Amino acid sequence: MSPRILFVAVLCCGLFVSCGSKSGEKDPMSEAAVVALSGDADNFNPVVSNSSTSSDIQGNIYPMMFDVSFDMREGKLTYGKGLVNSWEFANNGKDVILHLRSDVRWEDGMLVTPEDIKFSFSLYGDPEVASPRRSYLESMIFTDNKFDVDKSIEIIDDSTMVFHFTKQYPLQLFHLNLSPIPKHVYRNADRKTLRSNPANERPVGAGPFKLEDWVRQQQIILTRNSKCTLPYPAKLENVVFRVISEPTTRLTELKKGTVDVMRPVYPDDVKDIQENNPQIKLLTLPPRSYEYIGWMNIDIEEYHSTGKIEPHPLFGDRRVRQALTYAVNRKEILEHELGPYGELAVTDFSPIFRWAIKHDLIPYPYDPEKSRQLLRSAGWSDSNGDGILDKGGKDFEFTLHYNIGNKRREYVATVVQKELKTIGIKVNLQSVEPVVLYQNIEDKQYDAFIAGFSVGLAIDPAGRWGEISNPFNTVAFANRRIQELLKLGLHVATERDAGPFWKEIQGILHQEQPCTFLYWVKDIVGVNRRLKSTNINVLGVTDNMWDWTIGDPNSYMTY
Amino acid sequence: MSAVPLLFGLLTFTFFIIRLAPGDPVALYIQGDVDPMYAENLRNALGLNDPLPLQYVKWLKGMLTGELGVSFSKHAEVTRILAQTIPNTLLLTFFALVFNFFIGIALGVTTALKRGSATDHMVNITSLFVYSMPEFWLGLMLILGVSLHLDLLPASGMHSPMAHFLPTWHYLWDLVQHMILPVFVLGVASAAATGRYMRGSLLEVINQDYIRTARAKGLSEMLVVGKHALRNALIPIITLLGLSLPFLLGGAVIVETVFAWPGMGKLTVDAIFARDYPLIIACTLVSGVMVIAGNLLADILYAIVDPRIRYE
Repeated sequence: MSPRILFVAVLCCGLFVSCGSKSGEKDPMSEAAVVALSGDADNFNPVVSNSSTSSDIQGNIYPMMFDVSFDMREGKLTYGKGLVNSWEFANNGKDVILHLRSDVRWEDGMLVTPEDIKFSFSLYGDPEVASPRRSYLESMIFTDNKFDVDKSIEIIDDSTMVFHFTKQYPLQLFHLNLSPIPKHVYRNADRKTLRSNPANERPVGAGPFKLEDWVRQQQIILTRNSKCTLPYPAKLENVVFRVISEPTTRLTELKKGTVDVMRPVYPDDVKDIQENNPQIKLLTLPPRSYEYIGWMNIDIEEYHSTGKIEPHPLFGDRRVRQALTYAVNRKEILEHELGPYGELAVTDFSPIFRWAIKHDLIPYPYDPEKSRQLLRSAGWSDSNGDGILDKGGKDFEFTLHYNIGNKRREYVATVVQKELKTIGIKVNLQSVEPVVLYQNIEDKQYDAFIAGFSVGLAIDPAGRWGEISNPFNTVAFANRRIQELLKLGLHVATERDAGPFWKEIQGILHQEQPCTFLYWVKDIVGVNRRLKSTNINVLGVTDNMWDWTIGDPNSYMTY
Repeated sequence: MSAVPLLFGLLTFTFFIIRLAPGDPVALYIQGDVDPMYAENLRNALGLNDPLPLQYVKWLKGMLTGELGVSFSKHAEVTRILAQTIPNTLLLTFFALVFNFFIGIALGVTTALKRGSATDHMVNITSLFVYSMPEFWLGLMLILGVSLHLDLLPASGMHSPMAHFLPTWHYLWDLVQHMILPVFVLGVASAAATGRYMRGSLLEVINQDYIRTARAKGLSEMLVVGKHALRNALIPIITLLGLSLPFLLGGAVIVETVFAWPGMGKLTVDAIFARDYPLIIACTLVSGVMVIAGNLLADILYAIVDPRIRYE
């Protein structure tokens, strides 16, 4: 066969296949939505999974104890019926009595029982399992520093159980909202190797969807669980999650219509989408993550060698930290990088918690003159006329670290370098590979760095501003009054009772400037308009996935 | 058999070098609402708190029994992960190699036979242009041009979503469509280089005495080139193809990322960023084996092309 004939044959074959009759066959995409992911899931066992992809998907496979939503007007979590039909508090709020639905079955037909829930909590609390969600149980009962599942969880009957806490606190229901897994599947599983148990790849759930197929690094297909008796059954037949790590490729798929939901869309792409892709609607999520410039508050050499806490030679003085914030034009950075998709950060209390925000705090303006005054009052001057401030013979010079490949932070770093130079501070820039950067930040190895932080759905500033040894207190900021306020705020009966304590903490943070809070980031989600009822909200893209429907069944782009 | 100690040395070197590199495998999992003790528990669970010699002995024991361990980041047996990804990379690399071979030879023969012509100059300039183009950029440009604007081919992935519902022929056609762009990007630069080598090799052969003799015998130009010149000119190209396998594997890292192709390249990059030690070592093993296999293939093809070569 000559090459020419072969070529024509292949072409005809292709045409035959692509134009071949599909009549009578239902297009599988007519009832499927496609979500683009930047990373794959690690597994589908909610006890041990780490990745955000797994978390998003598991919430749709396993039954949730409560149907949690976030009231944006109130700025707080609300709880609806899930596996738990009703609940009540007893013993001064220290006991939570749960009344479970008795008609929920695992995919294999077995009933979901209180035994499943108790078994699952025993796994969440076992240090051998090393669950990332173990901290949720820290206010339950521990014996000899071990989670005491029998004392913490009492099964009254087939549909009633009591959780015993050591105190009443606002997040009790939030901490109970851990997905149970089926005891009959994992009963004999080795706890040490639970993370790699093959059953984690074939989850037996009871939620609105079930796992149809998972090809690592490629796609995860969920199909409707027709036996789901929870109050939120799925409406769509299938949801396909495609792993596409390259942002440009992901965006291309969204524009082509081969992907229905994509997060995040970058602010730079918004104008183009709005002008050329009317089929895509862009939703802006309320901000839950912020970026900041960390100034080390303590002398880290002293701290690491002797454990003593002494003020940092450059940033230990509050006036210097305030001067640094005054010297950085945060508004210009915000407008350049995020525009309307960001918000100037005053402290690290997210604007979504409206009731807890101290609204009378005024963001530090860009004021280099004020900055110079503060530095002068802190004893910094250019005594040798070399253009760099000095004190006690030491120049004001430091290295600012940031993660390599992050364009936004690269921009912030260069702006900071330029602006601090105008007030006589020499900044050396150092980009670092992300894993190394985060490890060094948590180990308190850097004097100055640019980083980000995501806040949870409930206020808990203890990790960030608690003990210096806490890895999340990345700038080693210690303030006695904040420690007192944390204790008060975390031991109140309701969330709102903690409001005054949180507001006072914000006032102190604003005054002390342990770091320069830059901006809150509002993620943009691109959604194809063929997808209906996409109430994408602060809880995540897949929060109400069970409610999604397809408008036009023939609207999916195929070849 | 001489490859075994080579592989062992490579893996041992990798074992130590990745542990000496900065970065904690559990650092990425520590987020704001996570118990600080979690990191310690996880390190214990993953055996990272063991002394380095003990970790090495455990790893060595696993290797000798065919156990590659459990991936830190993907929480599954490394062998099962590899079983899913190796075929995808082999598929991509094989067709890129075929593309490289046939297009490269065709370009080389055309330019050699039309030496000094406008075609020769044009192909040479184009080859240099393509050879110097970064794969990352070329991939993205093709995605934007061919996929988004011309709407001729899919932009990424190995299959369309839900492709497993399609009849076999549709499923295969779907795969072919998804392969065209990544295979082209992976193979085109190597094809340009192969074309240049082929041109030089063929020009050298064509001036030999035996070619003159063949022409003097009155053989047609097609027979002279196809039967006498090409076979000898191919010998250095075959060696080049075997050696180009490592470069294709290196290129696959970028091509798989751009085209969301679920193969070894993407897996290796993810493993390195996650400091997933067992997976990094396994990926190194697979790359090492593939490079050795490439060389072996080159040796075999060498013997086929040149009958004077016989291996004892």
